[in-house]
This record gives sequence, structure tokens and C-alpha cells, in this order.
Amino acid sequence: MQFARVLRISEVPPGDKKVVEVNGASVLICNSNDRLYAVSNICSHAQERLECGRMSRGWIACPVHGARFDLATGRAMNPPAKEPIATYEVRVVEDWIEVAVAGQRVSAS
Amino acid sequence: MAVEVKDLKDTKKAKGEARCPDAPTTQEIIAADKVCAPKWVRSESYQFLGDEDIPTDRYIEPSYAKEELDRLWTRTWQFACREENIPQIGDYHVYDIGPYSFIITRVGANDVRAYYNACLHRGTKLRASGTEGRASEFQCSFHGWSWNIDGSNKAIVCPWDFPHVDRKKMALPEARVEILGGFVFINMDPDAPSLADYLGREFKGHVDAWKLEDRYVYLHVAKKLPCNWKLAIEAFLEAYHVIKTHPQVAVSNGDANSQYDVYGEHVDRFISTLGVLSPHLYGKHTEEDILNQFTLGDSGALGDSKRTLSQGNTARQVMADMFRGMFEKATNTDLSAVSDSELLDCFSYTIFPNFFIFPGISLPMAYRFRPDPRDHRKCLYEVMFLRPVPKDGKRPEPAEPIYLGDNQSFKEAAGMDPGFGAILDQDTDNLFLQQEGLEASAKRGLTLGNYQEVRVRHFEKAVDKYLAMGPKKPDRDKLPSR
Repeated sequence: MQFARVLRISEVPPGDKKVVEVNGASVLICNSNDRLYAVSNICSHAQERLECGRMSRGWIACPVHGARFDLATGRAMNPPAKEPIATYEVRVVEDWIEVAVAGQRVSAS
Repeated sequence: MAVEVKDLKDTKKAKGEARCPDAPTTQEIIAADKVCAPKWVRSESYQFLGDEDIPTDRYIEPSYAKEELDRLWTRTWQFACREENIPQIGDYHVYDIGPYSFIITRVGANDVRAYYNACLHRGTKLRASGTEGRASEFQCSFHGWSWNIDGSNKAIVCPWDFPHVDRKKMALPEARVEILGGFVFINMDPDAPSLADYLGREFKGHVDAWKLEDRYVYLHVAKKLPCNWKLAIEAFLEAYHVIKTHPQVAVSNGDANSQYDVYGEHVDRFISTLGVLSPHLYGKHTEEDILNQFTLGDSGALGDSKRTLSQGNTARQVMADMFRGMFEKATNTDLSAVSDSELLDCFSYTIFPNFFIFPGISLPMAYRFRPDPRDHRKCLYEVMFLRPVPKDGKRPEPAEPIYLGDNQSFKEAAGMDPGFGAILDQDTDNLFLQQEGLEASAKRGLTLGNYQEVRVRHFEKAVDKYLAMGPKKPDRDKLPSR
């Protein structure tokens, strides 16, 4: 598994989230419930972006239709979504957040 | 204490005036405390409300539940969510009652609205029930009609096909919203009294003293119960059942000498002192037994502190002193001005139809009961534990509800005090037998104690009042426009 450095840990304080592009994938780095998560930024229901949605207690809600996803597993918690969203491995190395997505080109947005 | 038949015959007092004999009253126990109780504790408001049986069709007839939906639930103030569930503009929480569903939405710092949760095109719910989030818009997942968070219509897909629709008249219909102590209440009835008038002035004085807006929900547990919602509520309206249902608690609970009060049509309470022996058990236990048997709702805050009784001290005083120090430390709050009674005792208030607040410190709870609209023999019970917001002012996020399975114990909910979980199991385990017993019985009425069960009667009198009214279904055309 190849990890890519995406953000300084200080850029995602508790309760915050940031979008990064990794190899063409829009990835949301989330700091919730005292831990970091990396999930797809695209809702599995109608392909809306999740980045402006509410994040709370280990879930994120789509701001348009309200589907919620478990940040740890990507599981859809309520309608209108049924399919999960992708989750990615995430780790902290030397104050950097690193995420494992196939490919390596990185750009913060 | 077993009551002989002759005792009943000897009673010369007016109806409702008899109290547990040979035991101090709740007010006498509290008056002896070291740190004095506030006025809202040191008052009484009992009223004799009659002694006729309560007809049982209300618990067992499906048609009665249907009438409640059209008459009672569409007219009463109901707790929908806490303010901390919707801290930021655009945040929403979906609250359901019966078939009705509302998107409780924060539109401004002091502007919370309750939208009927249905698309005005072909009716699809705009948000799934039981969910929360932050809306950029409320867009229907079917054809995409959408609304701004202030309820105004944002867009109709293919507007050329809807020349007959005036978008200005397509704002989401609203129920009324009022906020009390951080609790968001809604009411579907545009003609209902204000929440303040509904609750009455005296109770409002109590609530304002509690500063419940400065608390947050740190544990939220929900479980379906196999009984009518009113039976579930009534299981928590008196301390009369403590000696038989919770024998382990009676050692440290003034059960038979608890105090019962009614306030207007919609609010009642009991005060049940803790750290004192049940009058049923006088002569059978020491102060040390009382100290060791004390059960807490929030013992997690206490850690494993040792309980010791110094000479001449009472169990009640030792517990009060210990709680004050331990709760201050555990929750990072200042409780120096809080009375012994508020720290120890169980204050159970009901706001009709389905909401309980326990403003004490050792039992800092709220209960909510909602009927299952598909089955009059089922209801949803929720218990929420509230802690003071830490002194540094940073409000923790409210707890995510834990839904227990039908056969799970309350003790299994992560964060629940095992002793308190056992009490809730005992309370709710009686209910299926009561539901079935009422259906099996040749007696068509409940017989109630005049004093200890006055809250049950008070509650059912309010049910009667609303059921005597005609049906009132929400009608957009009759709602005032904003």
C-alpha cells in the first residue's frame, strides 16, 4: 500500500475536514471523534459533494439529500443512500497526514 | 408497610389528605439538610382530582390510539430535539410523531423552524426520519424540487411545466416552535396556547431556575416497549411501586413518603428523597446500609470513591457532601451553591403529553415516550442523561442515540450505570404483563391511590380533555403565512 502526504496535521483540527485530490479521486480528510478518517468526497446516492455537509460523532451527512455515512466504514446510515462510500487508509507521519489511494499525484484544493 | 383493613376504615381525613403515617414528609427531610434547598423544591401543590376508576379502553383499543393521533398529538407541545442537536445555521434534526415528521432547522441564532417533512410536489419526505445534518438546501430526491433553509422555494425542475404554481406560495409549511431550557418544542396547532401559557407560570419559574440550557446530553438510549405509550409513561409517575419493583432501591429511598404535585393541566411532579430509608423498612436497616445501597444515575461521574459514615452523621449528609465534591471534579463545574436536595433527590416532572425532566444532579435525565403509529401496543422510550456544560464553556457534541433490541437490557447500553440500567429493566419488564393483563381483565378500570398516584390521574385527565375535542389534522391552507 502506497501512502501519499496530503496535509499537515495542523491543517485539520478536531471537528474540521479538508478536501484533497489524490490521483484524480476527491478525498475528504476528517477529524472527528478524536481520530482521523479519509473517505470519498462524493455521495453514493446522487454524486453530490459531501465537503459542505455536517460532520458529527463519526458520520458525515450529504448537504443536499441528507444521506449519512459512517466515516470509519463508509456504510450508508440512512436513505436515500444505500451504497457505501469509499474509505481510505490514513496515518500520521512526522506531522503529516498520509492517505493511501491508488496512484501518487497529490494536490490540496 | 402493610396496611390493615381497619386502617382504611379509620381514615377520617378528607379525600386525598392522608399521607404516609409515622414518617417524615419530603419537606421535613429536605428542611433538615445542611445546604438549603431553593424555593421551587420547598413548595407543595397537591390537588385531589377524584377517585373514580380510569377506563382501560384507552390502553387496549386500536381506535383510541387513532383518535389520539388526530386529537391529542396534533394539538400539544412536544419536545423535538435539543438546541445542541442543531448548533449552526442550516443544521437540522428530523423529529417524528405518529405519521407526522418535521425537519427542525436552525435558520438563525435565535430562529429555529419546524418544516413539515414532505415535498410539496408529490409528497416525498425531504429528509429521512431519525436523521440529522446540515443542509445547503432541502432537495427532494425524486424530481429535485428544492427549498432554501429558510423554507422558501429554491427551485422547481422544468418550471415551464408548472405555470399554475406560484413559487411564493410554495414555502414549506411550518409547525410552531418554542425553546425552553435548551429543549426545542413544537406544536402543530396554530390555535394552541403559547408554551409559557401551556406550562403555566409556576412551573416556568421552576424551569428557569434549572438553567437546563447549560447542560448537554452525554448519553441517549432508546428502546421499543411492548405496551401502549400511556402505560409506559405511568410506570414512571409514582414511587409507590419502588418497594416491590425495585426492592434494592427502597433501602435508600423515601418512597412511601414521596411528595406529589400538580401544576395546571399539563405539568406535574414528584419529589422522592434519596439517602433515607423507605418507611416500609423502618427498623430493618442501619444508616450504613442506606449509604451502601445508594444507586446513582450518573455514578460514572463519581469514580470509585469510598463511602464512609462518621459518627453522628447521616447517610444522606455523607452522600450530599461526597457528591458535591466528586461531581464538581468529574464534570468540571461549580456546585457550591447547589443544595443537598438538588444533588441527591429524584425530581420527576412531566410535561404533557410525553416528556419527563429530572432536573436533579444525581439523576440528571429527560425521558420521551412516543406511540408506534402502526401498533397501539408498542411505543418508543428514550432516556437522555444531561451533564452540565464544562466550566471552560466548550459544549461537547450531544450523544448519538443507542437503540437497544427488544430483548436487550438497559445495562447493555455503553455508558449506562449498571445499577440504574437494572432499575429501568425492572420498570419496563412489568409493562408487557400489564398490557396483556388489561386485555385479559374482567375489570374495565384502573383503581388509583388518591395521593401517590395522582400524577397518573392528572395525566389521564389531560388525555380525556384532548380526546373530547374534535379531530384536527394539519392543513396548510389554515396555517398562518410567515
